[in-house]
Amino acid sequence: MSKKNIEHIIELSNELRWQIGDDFHDNLTEGIYADAANIVRDSVQTEKGKKRFRLDSKIDKIVTSKTFGFPIMFLILGVVLWLTIIGANYPSSMLANLLLDTIHPALKSGASNIGMPWWLDGFLIDGVYLAVAWVIAVMLPPMAIFFPMFTLLEDFGYLPRVAFNLDNLFKKSGAHGKQALTMSMGFGCNAAGIVATRIIDSPRERLIAIITNNFSLCNGRWPTQILIATIFIGAVVPSSFSSVAALLSVIGIAVLGMAFMFLTSWGLSKTVLKGEVSTFNLELPPYRPPRFWRTLYTSLIDRTLIVLWRAIVFAAPAGAVIWLICNIHVSGDVSIAAWLIDSFDGFGWLLGLNGVILLAYIVAIPANEIVIPTILMLTVLATGMSGGEGAGVMFELDSISATGDVLRAGGWTLLTAINLMLFSLLHNPCSTTIYTIYKETKSAKWTAVASILPVILGFIVTFLVAQIWRLF
Amino acid sequence: MNDYNPISALIIFFGIAILLFLLFRPTKGWFWLLQKNFKSNEKVIIEDILKQLYHFENSGNKVDTRTLVEVLNFKNKRIVEAIKKMSINDLVYFDKDALKLTEEGHEYALRIIRVHRLWERYLADKTGFHKNEWHDRAERMEHKLSHDETNKLASQLGNPKFDPHGDPIPTKTGKIADIEGVELPRLPVNSIARITHIEDEPEVIYKQILAENIHIGSLLKVVENNNTRIVFHSEGEEFVLAPIVASNLTVLPIEKEVVIEENIARLSGLQENEMAEIIGISKESRGESRRRLLDLGFVKGSKIKIDLLNPLGEPHAYLVKGTSIALRKDQASKILIKKSEHAD
Repeated sequence: MSKKNIEHIIELSNELRWQIGDDFHDNLTEGIYADAANIVRDSVQTEKGKKRFRLDSKIDKIVTSKTFGFPIMFLILGVVLWLTIIGANYPSSMLANLLLDTIHPALKSGASNIGMPWWLDGFLIDGVYLAVAWVIAVMLPPMAIFFPMFTLLEDFGYLPRVAFNLDNLFKKSGAHGKQALTMSMGFGCNAAGIVATRIIDSPRERLIAIITNNFSLCNGRWPTQILIATIFIGAVVPSSFSSVAALLSVIGIAVLGMAFMFLTSWGLSKTVLKGEVSTFNLELPPYRPPRFWRTLYTSLIDRTLIVLWRAIVFAAPAGAVIWLICNIHVSGDVSIAAWLIDSFDGFGWLLGLNGVILLAYIVAIPANEIVIPTILMLTVLATGMSGGEGAGVMFELDSISATGDVLRAGGWTLLTAINLMLFSLLHNPCSTTIYTIYKETKSAKWTAVASILPVILGFIVTFLVAQIWRLF
Repeated sequence: MNDYNPISALIIFFGIAILLFLLFRPTKGWFWLLQKNFKSNEKVIIEDILKQLYHFENSGNKVDTRTLVEVLNFKNKRIVEAIKKMSINDLVYFDKDALKLTEEGHEYALRIIRVHRLWERYLADKTGFHKNEWHDRAERMEHKLSHDETNKLASQLGNPKFDPHGDPIPTKTGKIADIEGVELPRLPVNSIARITHIEDEPEVIYKQILAENIHIGSLLKVVENNNTRIVFHSEGEEFVLAPIVASNLTVLPIEKEVVIEENIARLSGLQENEMAEIIGISKESRGESRRRLLDLGFVKGSKIKIDLLNPLGEPHAYLVKGTSIALRKDQASKILIKKSEHAD
């Protein structure tokens, strides 16, 4: 075809498009639906008089009613979280027994039997193996409990109703009602919560949900919160109230996280995300009996194992780094870790924390699960007290009070504990989550925002708390 | 380590925070102001003058240098310099006191207006910026896009005819469609018309129109028209406007005896237990969200009713084509329905 002809056709098409006008898409869709309706009328037979949605609308009336809607919602979330946190204790301690107390010594003695040099043995077994084992022991059980329960609720069709009930709250902060679901999923694991934001089809609201998911306390952080609250906050009230006080303070931190989530969502939608496209719609699918075994299987494979695998991949090098910084020495007798702790101490003190905590949060970026063991090991290393398992070997103590003694010897006060709890809520997401954010957004910019924003907030909040605390 | 004072630390912190706020707060931050000042070079001034001249000539007013100084937000001296340069380059000429566009200047002005309106169209269809930001963003963009970029943008948007306010977009060759219709205050009582254009300047009045939730493309019927107020019915709701506000609305009277659906309403006005049929989606719903609504079955002729009321007031769930779909109030207000007499 000659060039002139083509130009003529393009010209003609532009002319025609100009004439067709804006209603073109509407008319096309209308036509498609009209045709579809005709085909359905000709070929599909429906039983006359059968009322659809009967049971569905009855359930819907209850779960979205003004009186029962919200209590039912909180009850279900509470039960799921309670089952996860309490229920995970037993398999967690069994796994810890097996991986940390049985296999780890066995590996060590095996290594010395075959005459492995101390550095290789330390690097591989005390560093890499221990970090991986720790992550598995702490992470696997809660995820294996939380995700199937969550997926069952999802499969049943209840979760869209939660989004429906709560949408108005989220709308006020510029977010999507479905963010309630991804936020709850974040209580299990932030990486899984971020994958779950795929259910939000509006680009702006999805980005908001991704960036703010880190404000949901994840499984890796619940144990830290509970431990520190029990040791320090439980101690300031009469002992009969101590467990209640500890529990309330942990719930307080989780609620504070939600407040930050709303606040940040609002800020983001008003500033940097203003120009992203926003479309809202929420389908309320009919209820159906959940397919139990299938759900169990897919939630274990799709969510738990994938996340666990990513965590292991990141935890292994972290273990190696932890061991190395404790065992490589700069300027004579001082290890890299001790040197770093010393240089972070001033900044840490300003935030009401200390160098040990800051270093622990840096080396434990791959997994929040190893923060407490790392803090204990570094505290022992920095103070030079007896106890512990040796340089670069993470450990946890059997009794809570013994853990408290080590921390107090490391100079911890109630302020340190409160600020650690705040910083555990407000710090960068773990590397698994960061990687997942990148995979989901395909944007280095949003990944950076999601990673750095919470840690800046953490610095500001702990700083303010520390200054105000010291005023009195 | 203990030789510091928490109060001074707090003071330093808040000092830095306030400084950052002053520098970077939206639109009025010093950083943005400096950046804007730095960038308002000669090109911007010339182009803004051209645009103003075009608008003034279109409305049949004469312009001298003094009016320009009043209208434009630049220093007196710079405007005078710019005009001098423009007459050297044959963009404008003086007819006694009045400043007029040459042929060339006219073409240039149309190019700027083309970019401005295309960009507003782009913001409306492809981004999530709120309506009241379109104008300012387009004001900045019109000086940045090159000729080729503009044509590319136009073809990506499908060479649209009108911008989201209903203003015609000049074509590549400078062709420009007419706005049909009259200003709303000139419409006699009881006449029926369609809103074809909403003027976005001055900003104060435009914001007022936005707040009233008036939609372009909707049909209206005037019920009262005098010097103090204009009252009209549209889409099942009553609107009351001051004449000065109403004159920013251009409407096209409908001559034929259309079956003007007295009972057209917005979906947001549907009550529980009422049945309705969808008439269409308002022109105010654009781009992605419009596409999504169509895909979900919100098309002309679909039956619709409320499926579930929300405990917090919105969104309600609507039953359409056998599926329950929740829509927020502002979306539902852009779907037009005709209520059926009897519930199914």
